[in-house]
Amino acid sequence: MSDLKENLKAQIIEQLNLEDLTPADIQDDAPLFGDQGLGLDSIDALEFIVLLDSNYGIKIADPSEGKEIFHSVNTLADYISKHQ
Amino acid sequence: MYFIQHIESITHQDSFQKENIWNELKPLAGENELISPDYKNYIPVAALRRLSTILRMGITAAKACQEKVPAEFDAISVGTALGCLTDTEKFLVTINTVSGDVLSPTAFIQSTHNTIAGQISLDLKNHAYNMTHTQNALSFEVALKDGLLCIDEGKHSVLVGAADEAIPFLERLRGSLIETTYPFTSGATFMVLSGEKGNSIASIRACNVSFSDKHTETQVEQFLEANHCSLQDVDLILEAGFDFKSKAKNHISFPEYTGFYQSASAFAVHMANDWLINHVNDSRILIVNNLELNKLGLTLISRNEVEA
Amino acid sequence: MRIYVTGYGVISSVGENSEENLLALRSEKTGIKQGKKTYTERFKVGEIHWSNDELVQRFNLTQHASRTAILGMIAAKEAFNGHLLDPEIKTGLISGTSVGGMDVSEIAYKDFLSGESDDLNVYKNHPSGTTSEQIAKELGIDGYVNTISTACSSAANSIMLGARMLLSGQLDRAVVGGTDGLSQFTIAGFRSLMIFDEEWCRPFDETRKGINLGEGAGFLVLETEETIKKTGKKPLAILAGWGNASDAYHQTASSPEGYGATLAMKSALSVAGLKPDDIDYINAHGTATPNNDLSESHGIKTVFGSSIPPFSSTKSYTGHTLAASGGIEAVFAILALNKGLLLPNLNFKQAIEETGLVPVKSYSEGNDIKHILSNSFGFGGNNSTIILSKV
Repeated sequence: MSDLKENLKAQIIEQLNLEDLTPADIQDDAPLFGDQGLGLDSIDALEFIVLLDSNYGIKIADPSEGKEIFHSVNTLADYISKHQ
Repeated sequence: MYFIQHIESITHQDSFQKENIWNELKPLAGENELISPDYKNYIPVAALRRLSTILRMGITAAKACQEKVPAEFDAISVGTALGCLTDTEKFLVTINTVSGDVLSPTAFIQSTHNTIAGQISLDLKNHAYNMTHTQNALSFEVALKDGLLCIDEGKHSVLVGAADEAIPFLERLRGSLIETTYPFTSGATFMVLSGEKGNSIASIRACNVSFSDKHTETQVEQFLEANHCSLQDVDLILEAGFDFKSKAKNHISFPEYTGFYQSASAFAVHMANDWLINHVNDSRILIVNNLELNKLGLTLISRNEVEA
Repeated sequence: MRIYVTGYGVISSVGENSEENLLALRSEKTGIKQGKKTYTERFKVGEIHWSNDELVQRFNLTQHASRTAILGMIAAKEAFNGHLLDPEIKTGLISGTSVGGMDVSEIAYKDFLSGESDDLNVYKNHPSGTTSEQIAKELGIDGYVNTISTACSSAANSIMLGARMLLSGQLDRAVVGGTDGLSQFTIAGFRSLMIFDEEWCRPFDETRKGINLGEGAGFLVLETEETIKKTGKKPLAILAGWGNASDAYHQTASSPEGYGATLAMKSALSVAGLKPDDIDYINAHGTATPNNDLSESHGIKTVFGSSIPPFSSTKSYTGHTLAASGGIEAVFAILALNKGLLLPNLNFKQAIEETGLVPVKSYSEGNDIKHILSNSFGFGGNNSTIILSKV
């Protein structure tokens, strides 16, 4: 699981062009969206769908499902481990 | 009269936020690159990570203009010839190389021409008239004409600008579709125009575009006559080509300074404005944009005190 | 000074001229079906049956060009039919397009990527500005040519700019509108945004999922009162009002309350000197994306309060034709004005829960319609409204 989370962080940084961040800057439980977290927005949510599809073969058809799944690295890792 | 309140350019010259760009300008020679300011000073990092060069240049130049004038822009008019080429090409590569059905949308979102003006309004939280014009080598002039019309209609603080970016792919078209000996370059120039004089030195008197095969010199004569002057009254001609080299008191072919991008005549306005600051005895400058065959953009700029 | 419409032309998936489009509107027949071309066959699209070569032949065009330019030439030619070029009448052309000649350049670029030799000459059709120059050339217009590229509000903005150029005296007559051909680029683009419905689009319906893309072009000829005295043309409608505003909310989404939309509608009403009560029909932008239709509904409620005029989205007929939509829908509005039409919003079943707004559900003629408001909203928050009035 911790490997998965580390990989995820690197993939998030690449997919979303977060050049100024390193995986260590992203806390497992910190919100990814909104001003309290990394400040990601709805375009990033679409990029997360691409990330899940291309790296884990997981399809999300309805973007509105993404809200809970993409809350934090923890929720993402949970979802991936359950659906892979 | 349309007074130039402030003007900013990001180009292959050291032209951004300069007292007078003529202190920095030299003809481009050999290898040269876009001289980028630290965009982080103008664009939040969260937004910056997605933005291509053309968007970074455009938003930064526009924001630097807004910082220098008190009033919020009440109209924004932007010209671009080829638009957001980096993102356009990136999305073309995506649709041809990604086999699955799920595609990254960011490049598509940012590939449309109006991303520049749209991002400016978004960043400035500006709800005013927002227009994007694209007309090949006359993209800046058609955007400028809309800006001037906005002032005629009573707008007070109009942002007019142009931006284009080079991508390596353009080299493939050199000699066949694009005839130029200059390097392909990127550049953005944004200016604030107003019907009130303020602290401005120079103003735009008129701008005209045409798409005919009529003789260039005849069109120039008619344009100047309509603006109550003649070639003898023009102290400097900034031209895309060299047609007027022997006929002008002073002549500069502006692509020698800008390189080749199709909205570079916007930078010629910056050159003209700052020239008039430096040359106190000069009063009129004509920009002749004859970059492409059968397209002619003419812009007359004069020192504010000059009558007609 | 009044701005008159003295000509109009349209081509869309429901017909290749205005008469055919009217017949399809009347018979409540959508043009959206399973695509027939390699890049559309997997989707429901508002596609025009003919290939580029066939279109050039059928309409006696003098130039081979991108699909975007060809469709533009066809609609602009219909609009300009019977109008004469005259050096005394300064005539300009303003056309809107979202991706210009992408439909042909994307094919050449694909060859390039796969290592095959691409025909470089094809790329000359790519620039959006070139599509307008080609349309202007087809009509013989060589004075002022301009292209507006504000995504889906492009044609509405071209119409607006034409009116302003006429009012300022810079032009006496303007051919204005917009055009877009279907391309793999835009299909893939809207799919990547996940607002692309695999089923028939359902504007203003609670179950709407997204757009069906379409292609086409719509153009008007605008003249001033002075010009009409010279040309002797019969006014077919009045372009009474226009407005553009920036939503400045998000790169792709509209503000939930429809702030930019509200500003655009109010500004058009103010230019026209009309009150909301004067509007008899709204041709909505109504793309059928969850976000647009909700935001537009809120905007309409803000502007019109409790007495909302009949409204509908004709994108259920044509698909979303992007930059062309404002031009095509302006032609539909003129047809509606002159025949008292209310145009149905096909595929509507269930009102959006949050707003409860019910669009026009069936076609009718002979209604008393004097003023029509038409919305066009582009992404990037570019919101435009025009108002057309009966002569």
